[in-house]
Amino acid sequence: MSGGIYRGTRRDFLRHLGVGTGALVWGCYISPKGLFATEHLPEIIHNGVPLGKKNYFVAIVPVEGTIVITTHRAEMGQGIRSSLAAVLADELEADWSRVRLRQADAASDKYGIEFPYEVKAALPFPFADAYKSKPQYLVPAEASQFTDSSRSMTAYFTPMRLFGAGIRHTFEQAAAKVFNVDPSQCQARQHKVYAGSHSIDYGDPLLLFHASKLGDPKYEDVQAALKKPGDWVFINAAKKPMPFVDAADMVRGKPIYGADHDLPGMLTAMIERCPVANGRIKSFDPAPALAVPGVRKVQRVLPSNVQPGGVGQAFVPHDGVAVIADNTWAALQGRRALKPTIEYDYLDDLAKDNAKYDSQAFRQTLRESTAAKGMLVRKTKADLTDEDFSGSASIFEAEYYVPLLAQAPMEPPVATALYKDGKMEVWSPTQNPDVAQQCVGRVLHNLPWDKDLDATSIKLTRETVTLHMPLLGGGFGRKSKPDYIVEAAFLAKLNPGVPIRVQWTREDDIKFSYYNAVSSQYLKAAVVGKKTTALLHRSAFTSFFGTLFPESRAKERAALFNGGVYPYGSAIERAQGLEDMPFKVDKLLIENCPAKNYIRIGWMRSVANIYHAFASGSFACELAEKVGDDSKDYLLGLIGEGGILALPDEAVAEFFNNGLPVDIINLPVEGGKVLQMVPGFPADTRHLRAVVQKVAEVADWDNKVKQYKGTRRGLGIAAHRSFLSYVATVIDVSLSDANELTIHDVYTVVDCGLAVNPDRVRAQMEGAVNYGLSIALLGEITVKNGAVVQNNFDDYPVLRIHQAPKNIFVTILEVDKQTPPTGIGEVGVPTVAPALANAIVAAGGPRIREIPFRKTLQVL
Amino acid sequence: MSIFQLHVNGRLHTVDIDGNMPLLWALRDILGLKGTKFGCGVAQCGACTVHLDGRAVRSCSVDVGVACLSKVTTIEGLSPDGSHPCQKAWVELGVPQCGFCQPGQIMSASALLAANGNPSDEDIDNAMRGNICRCGTYPRIREAIHKAAGSKS
Repeated sequence: MSGGIYRGTRRDFLRHLGVGTGALVWGCYISPKGLFATEHLPEIIHNGVPLGKKNYFVAIVPVEGTIVITTHRAEMGQGIRSSLAAVLADELEADWSRVRLRQADAASDKYGIEFPYEVKAALPFPFADAYKSKPQYLVPAEASQFTDSSRSMTAYFTPMRLFGAGIRHTFEQAAAKVFNVDPSQCQARQHKVYAGSHSIDYGDPLLLFHASKLGDPKYEDVQAALKKPGDWVFINAAKKPMPFVDAADMVRGKPIYGADHDLPGMLTAMIERCPVANGRIKSFDPAPALAVPGVRKVQRVLPSNVQPGGVGQAFVPHDGVAVIADNTWAALQGRRALKPTIEYDYLDDLAKDNAKYDSQAFRQTLRESTAAKGMLVRKTKADLTDEDFSGSASIFEAEYYVPLLAQAPMEPPVATALYKDGKMEVWSPTQNPDVAQQCVGRVLHNLPWDKDLDATSIKLTRETVTLHMPLLGGGFGRKSKPDYIVEAAFLAKLNPGVPIRVQWTREDDIKFSYYNAVSSQYLKAAVVGKKTTALLHRSAFTSFFGTLFPESRAKERAALFNGGVYPYGSAIERAQGLEDMPFKVDKLLIENCPAKNYIRIGWMRSVANIYHAFASGSFACELAEKVGDDSKDYLLGLIGEGGILALPDEAVAEFFNNGLPVDIINLPVEGGKVLQMVPGFPADTRHLRAVVQKVAEVADWDNKVKQYKGTRRGLGIAAHRSFLSYVATVIDVSLSDANELTIHDVYTVVDCGLAVNPDRVRAQMEGAVNYGLSIALLGEITVKNGAVVQNNFDDYPVLRIHQAPKNIFVTILEVDKQTPPTGIGEVGVPTVAPALANAIVAAGGPRIREIPFRKTLQVL
Repeated sequence: MSIFQLHVNGRLHTVDIDGNMPLLWALRDILGLKGTKFGCGVAQCGACTVHLDGRAVRSCSVDVGVACLSKVTTIEGLSPDGSHPCQKAWVELGVPQCGFCQPGQIMSASALLAANGNPSDEDIDNAMRGNICRCGTYPRIREAIHKAAGSKS
């Protein structure tokens, strides 16, 4: 997308400046110390491509006027690369045909604006002192590029707008100097600034010269310069659909993914790993593998002083032996020859228990856990007692089970590393570039794995580890764990000067995931008449706490994750549908019951919301069935009129809320004024009620329910808040006499605040429905003797096109255009399993309380 | 190792490799054609779909020794400039999300359309059920195939 309309004259310009092949590029970058700063960045220009200095967000190439926007998040299918750049370009009034994107490397000190975005974006440092009363909302010393929790747009919408508006404002000021007029007479539009009959292009050296002299604009001026929603071009698709830059490369098979990057002399490694978490390689014989043509080396990946990966070992890979070969096929064959020669040892205390782990037996352990009183999560002021479940009330109870799940992104994990001259260069698709970079730093400099790096080590790591981010062929949470990158780094260090690509197979991906937790949920309700008067909810799940921190760091772990003490869950998991369970009952008691890790636990698209929404969404419908009410009406009754959940009054000390504040936060500024810094994102069940009502309308619920009565066709409904957004879903299914399931239509309504890119919002919601159906119908990882049983898509099936619904109707709830955007990537998943389970019952099928449904129903 | 001649995208390549090497790895590692993707290695996911004499096959499960008997077309050879009706429909409807499976999807879809100019939803489901998309772009894939069929006729 290079511009180049002035390309013919650029060389003259460069010569004029006397800088040879270099040029001065006007840049704007995120300063860790303030809103942003403008400065001259010396750049080497080659064919219009700026090389060299890497820490700019926006660069403008003089004369040709190409605007290079840095995209700093991990692109894994959410379209964020295009969307964030388009937001910036919109406010900048850039001509999109003259915009080029540049993917940032890992550099969180430059690109990692962290929550809360308004504060970070808006507060020059002196103001930060005013914030001491709310230290959790201050800018962390180490911000992050971590792309997870559906938060890129929530976090960066305002900063990107401010950057764009700030540069446009600066250009208008500069044009006033060029034309010697008052700035109020200058207006930027589509890559030019107009003043009366004059105009000047953004690339004009004279404009850039004056712009560069102006320095940083004031925050108040930038805020005032923000466009009104009526002037937006791309945002909210006001005038044009948002661009989708990568689509053209994707459909042409361009080499844009992790495994596509070749380097001269590169070798490919395949790793045979210890199947049990925390186990060790005892011995192996390299000879049979070395006999395979093309195999160069057989090497143990981890040095002897590094504890093998598994439970409590965070991102350290499982112990393994690598076969390094000329190409992937030779490496695969060498690995096959190596495999029978390896002996493992499970003598370590942890490994000993893990080697006995059996997922079927553990299911019973989880049930027993929820049979006893757990840790208090939330309770109404009025205590729920045994008496509430006696007397005239009818009692209803149910248990729900969700197994371990593997994310299975389309591209299996892959990483390439080159160790040379004391430095490490890495190419790898990762959601978590900062942590990946730090892990490679640990490898490179022999830094400890069992504690956080200190500032000196982080600095050293940043200076010596370069991590490039290609597109991710899917992430879904798997690629937030850089164990595969660590493997590549260890092997690269053993082979200086030789680029090593570690290629995972699908079997590796299925057997060595960081699995979504296995969970058992117990719910018990007292119903008087038709009204649910008391509700007990106990949730047991294997928290990712247990994998991310060893026992030796229990205190840090508890502090970081806000009160959860392993083997109980973290604040993050509790806040995903447990603490904020939306039903209003007179007496409520929610508890978290303990569950230990015996295999690596991580997260998968929507995480704890999967099992919490499955339980609460199914249970709501079961109560409706019990009292003979319409399930949509009963759901609305349970939600009630709605309002902001009074969690602090109900024993929830600090609701994690996806890292964002519940309350509106105002900052006093000079002159006694108050600036609203953070809008606040409370859990407000009025929004949940609204999406339920909307989806019932869109799905024509009342009429269809009448129409389907007495047939083998039925509707199910569920609603859930996650990642600050509200979703309600209706699924329309039928069953054959042999209980074969057909999913006809899915209706899903989302309130995600402002839909910045409506087409990608729809795409994410459509995809989430299919991801959710894949979980509900098919998803299951089982474990025997500590090793995962499943291998590939034949025994870990995922949804295919003939199993997908005929139609998915997505409705985006209209909101005021000043409403901040909330999460999208994961929010469509949680409602799917309960809505489907409820629909199956409505169609005359069995009540399914266990994922995957294929155990109960025929899924063709 | 043996000498094989591979006809790929209208060009003849002479390679000295193990004849049991799957075509997928010959394309990616030996010929440097990265558009054909590795997703499972056992013909379960369709990410590696190419055409052998116009037929959609999983290149992870076809040996070079067999593939050299046919003309191979990969996503890079489907059209010189991304102008195949499927590629155009895929972009116009915003089908891809992560995009990784889409070259394989398009190779399956283009083989379907070559054999059946006006496929029904059922025809599409039957032809495309071997291609997994974890992002769940299936509704748009169906729509794009219908659109591409329309633009061809």
